[in-house]
Amino acid sequence: MRRLGWASVGSILLGLALVPGFGQDWFSTGINLGAPKIRLAVSPFQPVTPDPALANLTTEFNQVLWNDLDESGIVELVSKSDYPVKLPRDPEEVSFKAWSDPPAAATMLAFGKAELLNGNFVPTARLDDVHNTANPSVLAKRYVARPDEASARAAAHRFANEIVQALGGGLPGIALSRLAFVSNRTGRSEIWIMDFDGYGQRAITNFGSLSLTPRWSPDDTRIAYTSYASGNPDIYIFSLETFRRIPFPMFRGLNTTPAWAPDGKRMAFCSSMSGDPEIYVSDVNGGNLQRLTFSPGVDISPVWNPKTGNDIAFVSDRSGSPQIYIMSSVGTNLRRLITAGGDASSPSWSPNGLFIAFSWRVTDTGTYDIYVIEIASGRTIQLTHDAGRNEHPYWSPDGRHLVFESNRSGPKQVWTMLADGSNPRQLTTQGENWNPSWSN
Amino acid sequence: MFMRKRSLMISSVLGCLALTLGGCHKKEVRAPAVDTTPPPAPAAPAPPPKPEVTLSVSPATIDKGQSATLAWSTTNATDVAVTPNIGKVDPSGTAMVSPSDSTTYILTATGPGGTASQSARLTVSPPPPPPVTPGAESEVQEQQMFDSEVRDAYFDFNKSDIRQDAQQTLNADATFFKAHPSIHFTVEGHCDERGSEEYNLGLGERRAEAAKEFLVNLGVSPDRIFTISYGKERPQCTDHTEECWQKNRRAHLKMGQESK
Repeated sequence: MRRLGWASVGSILLGLALVPGFGQDWFSTGINLGAPKIRLAVSPFQPVTPDPALANLTTEFNQVLWNDLDESGIVELVSKSDYPVKLPRDPEEVSFKAWSDPPAAATMLAFGKAELLNGNFVPTARLDDVHNTANPSVLAKRYVARPDEASARAAAHRFANEIVQALGGGLPGIALSRLAFVSNRTGRSEIWIMDFDGYGQRAITNFGSLSLTPRWSPDDTRIAYTSYASGNPDIYIFSLETFRRIPFPMFRGLNTTPAWAPDGKRMAFCSSMSGDPEIYVSDVNGGNLQRLTFSPGVDISPVWNPKTGNDIAFVSDRSGSPQIYIMSSVGTNLRRLITAGGDASSPSWSPNGLFIAFSWRVTDTGTYDIYVIEIASGRTIQLTHDAGRNEHPYWSPDGRHLVFESNRSGPKQVWTMLADGSNPRQLTTQGENWNPSWSN
Repeated sequence: MFMRKRSLMISSVLGCLALTLGGCHKKEVRAPAVDTTPPPAPAAPAPPPKPEVTLSVSPATIDKGQSATLAWSTTNATDVAVTPNIGKVDPSGTAMVSPSDSTTYILTATGPGGTASQSARLTVSPPPPPPVTPGAESEVQEQQMFDSEVRDAYFDFNKSDIRQDAQQTLNADATFFKAHPSIHFTVEGHCDERGSEEYNLGLGERRAEAAKEFLVNLGVSPDRIFTISYGKERPQCTDHTEECWQKNRRAHLKMGQESK
């Protein structure tokens, strides 16, 4: 017994050493990254009739479901080549042993069927614990979607989120989240949005000017950004419900890097209305304006602690080069976050309030890479290595992912990765795409 | 033009001479034919000869403010006049003219035999640019002067201090702006590609404001100066070298307040 125990510890340590970024045990705090991954088999959903439209929608559903779960970071997908020959459509068709034994060796099995009912695309989706043969059903859901690609995708996203929430410690999945970013694919920098997996890319501005730094409101109904459309850099707010601009005051000078407080009522931003770029907070309509910094030099890129709303991290060059500082949301208790030198910029505060991701050029001759710092301990981990210039990290709402920009494939593009630096994925290809932010 | 006319005239005179010398017999052959014409009415006197005129101007092209000489001669004329602006003149003579625009002079000679006229063209070149008088320049001229005289100020990495070379540049720029008080202008702050997009927006703003403050301290009215930061969004140069980065770390001075 005792010997077995030591052997288990040894194999876990070996496992830790083999996974990049896994040695930092603090990384698993609250987000289940680094915990042993559940082996999940995702049996392709079976169309119940040979209708070609149903076949296409089911194929789309299966691809999206697979991709969502593969991206989730909490499951290990069983290779399709290890699946049994007969794929189940209904619960009574599941052969538990065939799925739980090697080579599949699955713990969980997602499966189901898809049909057209009353003109709708209707997948019936199940998740079974194949080791619990007496009471295997973990999830059983039926989704009713319009018979089009986008609706079939949304149904797959919803089921993926259910699985992730059931298997990942209760944190909701991110499959229905979206990204905002800047793209110059039309020749000018405009604000664009897309699904978290890169699907459905569309512009929400068409100024033909320079528009930058998009940030989602906490309820995801609005996006605040910077635009030069009037001839001066000002903060704009765009409603995704009415597709109209919501007024925000235009101050003199540079006005940029808007950041929503987690309650959605206050906005932090940088303005040079005093002549020097400083951090201000105001109501989201610009009222109750309050200046928080009074230091000559650049003070910019504020971000709220999304857990408490009581602290703001920002970038200042008061020490001579850009560095990240934290202060209270009324401007008190200022301290420098990273005491090592270099150029540290673009802070993004993790949803659980424990970490800040940022881009850092440690030496003057180095390049920019994505790092995460644990605020309480000051320990840092480097997430990108030897892969071009990597900047503008932004946390996913589940805290397991980061979106960022990288030029590792040529022009800078929007990429996602798990928060331990693994599983990088390129989401954009047209023109240059950068400065992403994740919806909530 | 006039020279060509004169040489044409000379050659026709020579031609006439040649005819007179070498072709007398021909004239004689013709003479009987003349004789065959009916004699004029015995009461009519011989018709008086028609006036003949020459007019020249030298030089044919002048700059504005310079003068040229008109020279003319006439025969068989009683009234000789030159237009415009000169009026009655002697049958032969010269006159100094200094028109402000290109002018075609016309000499008209009238005599018992009729009237003859001759023209001569004097071309006046556009004047050299006049000395600068504030408020009198056109916008195009202002733009040309701005482009040729106003220089950008350059900065060190991550800095917005006005360094020595930039002080000299901005001193000269301030002299220009004080001599042209009607010009409003924009100071654009720019940065090199290092550092985040947002930080560079802030740094560019500081550079634009620093350049503005320097000019204001030299006596340029702040009301004439609009500042804007483009961060690293509008680089002058896109290579990844210090030479290129230095070109991008600048306060760019631009006439007017256009931006987009």
